[in-house]
Amino acid sequence: MERRDFFKKAAVVAGAATLGSNSLEAGITKQPVDNRKVSPVAFPEKRPLIVYSDRPPLLETPRDVFTSALTPNDQFFVRWHMPDIPTYIDPDTFTISVNGLVKKELNISLNDLKTKFEQVEVTAVLQCGGNSRSAFVPTAGGIQWGNGAMGCAKWKGVRLSDILDQAGLTKDAQWIGFNGSEKAAYYETPNFIRELKLDELNDSVILAYQMNDEDLPYLNGYPLRLIIPGSYSDSWVKMLSNITVTNQYKKLFFMDVAYRVPDNETEGETPEKKFPKTKPITKMNVKSIIGYPTSETILNHKSEVVVRGVAWDDGHGINKVLVSIDEGKTWEEALLDSGELGRYAYRTFRFSFKPKGYGKLKIMTKAINTIGEMQPLAKDIPWNHGGYKYNGIDEVTVEVI
Amino acid sequence: MTNIQKIILTTTVLASPLFSQVSEKIEVPYVPYQVKMGKGFDEVQANCLMCHSFGYITNQGKQSKKFWREKVDKMIVHFKAPIAKKSADIVTEYLFEHYGNGKEQ
Repeated sequence: MERRDFFKKAAVVAGAATLGSNSLEAGITKQPVDNRKVSPVAFPEKRPLIVYSDRPPLLETPRDVFTSALTPNDQFFVRWHMPDIPTYIDPDTFTISVNGLVKKELNISLNDLKTKFEQVEVTAVLQCGGNSRSAFVPTAGGIQWGNGAMGCAKWKGVRLSDILDQAGLTKDAQWIGFNGSEKAAYYETPNFIRELKLDELNDSVILAYQMNDEDLPYLNGYPLRLIIPGSYSDSWVKMLSNITVTNQYKKLFFMDVAYRVPDNETEGETPEKKFPKTKPITKMNVKSIIGYPTSETILNHKSEVVVRGVAWDDGHGINKVLVSIDEGKTWEEALLDSGELGRYAYRTFRFSFKPKGYGKLKIMTKAINTIGEMQPLAKDIPWNHGGYKYNGIDEVTVEVI
Repeated sequence: MTNIQKIILTTTVLASPLFSQVSEKIEVPYVPYQVKMGKGFDEVQANCLMCHSFGYITNQGKQSKKFWREKVDKMIVHFKAPIAKKSADIVTEYLFEHYGNGKEQ
């Protein structure tokens, strides 16, 4: 907090000295844009959602969906990078190739994946690194998401390690590159490829063909996608078509330029003076979102209200969710669900109270994980140019009549 | 309007039987974004909308000329869009005029 204030002040002083007062603008962070309207146009296998773009498809889940631990497939957010997504994939002929530094190259059909490997399930949160980006002022480049570029699902598939074992890695294998089937309009545009270092991969990383007991929806990466519990979704390659094992890291736009934050203690910078060194966003930070009530809810002062929402982190696990109904002066503990869906899943919370007054009432929630990390107030989150990793204390203001 | 009705109809047909989503081609609906016509729009159409919708642009909100310039440059440098220098200038001017915040920086 103090550090950030220092940066802000430093930026103001430096700006005033060199540029004059007109261009003075320290980065600030506020509550993200809330409750944008859903579009009347529904996308394949989706209910109407908040639409930012049809090409590539960019769809956000409305806030009121975040009252349950699993996000329904037809309300799950959608984010693609390239305009050209195959519109038909034949499940009978589809194969995933494994090649590069392996003893035996593989081409595995969907049916083989489902029958010749151990089948595993993991429930995990999928969240865009730029979720809530609209919190950052001045605007951080990218889709100005509200809080709904996220969801949690039960993923079923096969362990990546089992597939790599069958292919047999050679001694010098170090990096695993994953690419999906989306294509750019121009041949020269970098493909959406992710590379993971072998030692970053554990047994929770799977190739999933099912989501919440159904085939993956087309727009969520049918027929197969990578699942990396605890990490932001930029690494969860959709429509996975190829796995290449290498001994050397290849320079890639989506890893070396996009999806990176300042490599300093606060991960912050100012719009005038961007921090020169950056690091990948990787693990998710601790966060909670209120699903009910929403800003459109009208409460009666005589009746009880049950605040509901979800909380998660990178897999350390949620310890507590605290709720404040007095502008953050006092905080009370919400009830958490049993946590039976595992450490990578949403933990749902609920908190009952009776509003005492009339008029506007602000409800705030703050999650704390098992290693003591907690959500900061929005204003205490340092600005960063990519608008990544916002995890401010959530706020919903309702009307009490 | 008719476009939207057609799309909704298609979506309903596609969504009805469980697991049948890939028995035929999916159709990503076309969203008609409100576009401000003006000098330079033909360059936007020729150079930007090849890769992404107009929604991608307007979602950024009203921005400075520098912001828009940097976005156009990003498309050229990182995404390898073959946009000529002159076209890049015209596109930036168009964006700033219609989706600008009045500030140069």
